[in-house]
Amino acid sequence: MGNLILNGLANGILYGGGLALLAVGMNLIFGVMNVIHLAYGQCVMVALYAVYVFAVLLHLPLLLSCVIAVGISALLALLIHVAVVNPLLKAPLINQLLALAGVMIVLENIILAVFGSDYLGIQISFPVFAIGDVYIKISSLIPFGVGLATLALLWLFLNRTYTGLAIRAVVHDRDMAELMGVRTGRVYWLTFAIGGILAGVVAACFAPIYTVHPHFGAAFTLTAFVIVVLGGLGNLLGGSIAAFLIGVISQVTGVVFTSEIGEILVYAIFIIFILFRPQGLLGAKVRT
Amino acid sequence: MLQVEGVSAGYGKFNVLNDISIKVDDGTTVIMVGSNGAGKSTLLKAISGVVRPACGAIYFNRERIDGCPPHQIVEMGIAFVPEGGRIFSELTVYENLKMGSYPATARREFAASLRQVFQLFPLLENREKQVAGSLSGGERQMLAIARALMTKPKLIMLDEPSSGLAPKIVAKVFEFVETIKAQGYSIFMVEQNVLKAVGLAEYAYLLETGTLVYEGEKQEFLENPKIRASYLGI
Repeated sequence: MGNLILNGLANGILYGGGLALLAVGMNLIFGVMNVIHLAYGQCVMVALYAVYVFAVLLHLPLLLSCVIAVGISALLALLIHVAVVNPLLKAPLINQLLALAGVMIVLENIILAVFGSDYLGIQISFPVFAIGDVYIKISSLIPFGVGLATLALLWLFLNRTYTGLAIRAVVHDRDMAELMGVRTGRVYWLTFAIGGILAGVVAACFAPIYTVHPHFGAAFTLTAFVIVVLGGLGNLLGGSIAAFLIGVISQVTGVVFTSEIGEILVYAIFIIFILFRPQGLLGAKVRT
Repeated sequence: MLQVEGVSAGYGKFNVLNDISIKVDDGTTVIMVGSNGAGKSTLLKAISGVVRPACGAIYFNRERIDGCPPHQIVEMGIAFVPEGGRIFSELTVYENLKMGSYPATARREFAASLRQVFQLFPLLENREKQVAGSLSGGERQMLAIARALMTKPKLIMLDEPSSGLAPKIVAKVFEFVETIKAQGYSIFMVEQNVLKAVGLAEYAYLLETGTLVYEGEKQEFLENPKIRASYLGI
């Protein structure tokens, strides 16, 4: 039993790295723009299909296919921002949510129409290596490593560049940031583009591991949303901590019991947080 | 330097300012006084681009600026310190000052501006790494003024810098304003604390319910019987 738990813990931490990467884009967009990007998972799904097209159908090297997919994901994000999100920035929240739900359905059905409903994949098998009694999947190590590197780069960008500082200023006080010379319109599209890049990076990490289907986007969106809420909406550190917690809980429970019980436990914890600590782990309490 | 001509402005259908004309000459300190709700802050917001005037014109160094967005106004050289300072409370003192030098023209001189600001306000250098939200009220106002200086302004506009502060801190804040005045900055300040504010100024305006009712040089302003009775309690 001890070995099982140890393996669950190790793989849970690795899984958490991938989840942190998945959630950070949605979290950044909410933190800066107060927009819940309901179609975020669908953007990841489209990027996954992009990797498939370039790597499998066009036989390009996998790494190049991933880079192109990141670019396509960033362009898709900008398109969604210009066409849907930006015009609705001052609209009621429900209008934004409904419009993005529409984007979800449009993207899924475009992919369904083009690729059909078969599961498609790149079919790369990765080795497993052992450290003592703990077995580590290389396929889990990739999103973990890329996730940590991406989070580190994002931290450096937000804390060591003028543009990153401007984004943080807009989060705290948009009007005052404008009085400092920040063009908030530019900050918004840049944030959405970064979200798109991050969605592309997620797809690049997941493409060798998962087969892809048009309806996968919903699962990604739901998972990202749970992590973001648990961590505290808009709080990148909280989201990262929540991602690792969810990774460990789901993997350990999955090996000790079943993966279904792991999922049940994660969502039960989510419901408890909503009931008793809706601001999440590191979110600020909203005073009414 | 700054010329406001016949400006009316408000919020939606609610008009706050009626036909306001004022000017601020280069190197001078001009204040506008008036009670709560007179429209003083609205005038500053109209100049800084936050509120669009319904009519009239605003010129800065002979260039028309009404209708320009706030980021363009600050790039032209007008820094606005709103009421309460509105520092970025979750950023450090250093990061707040760095944000002040965000405009391209100010960014090139960040290091020199920071040195100047730390010479004027040494306390900020000691608190560089401190989160701005943990500063006291007077220290926040100091930081807000210092941040405005980082934008390399030609004109600094201050909205009631003493608002909400204890009397001892009010005195400190006016010392900060004197410090920047001594550096040769042009200042346009709105205040309810008439005696302290007029003491700093060369010229003063009195605004009541959105209309300019009196203006004059410092001495004649202080000798006006109505102002002495209503605002100085003499």
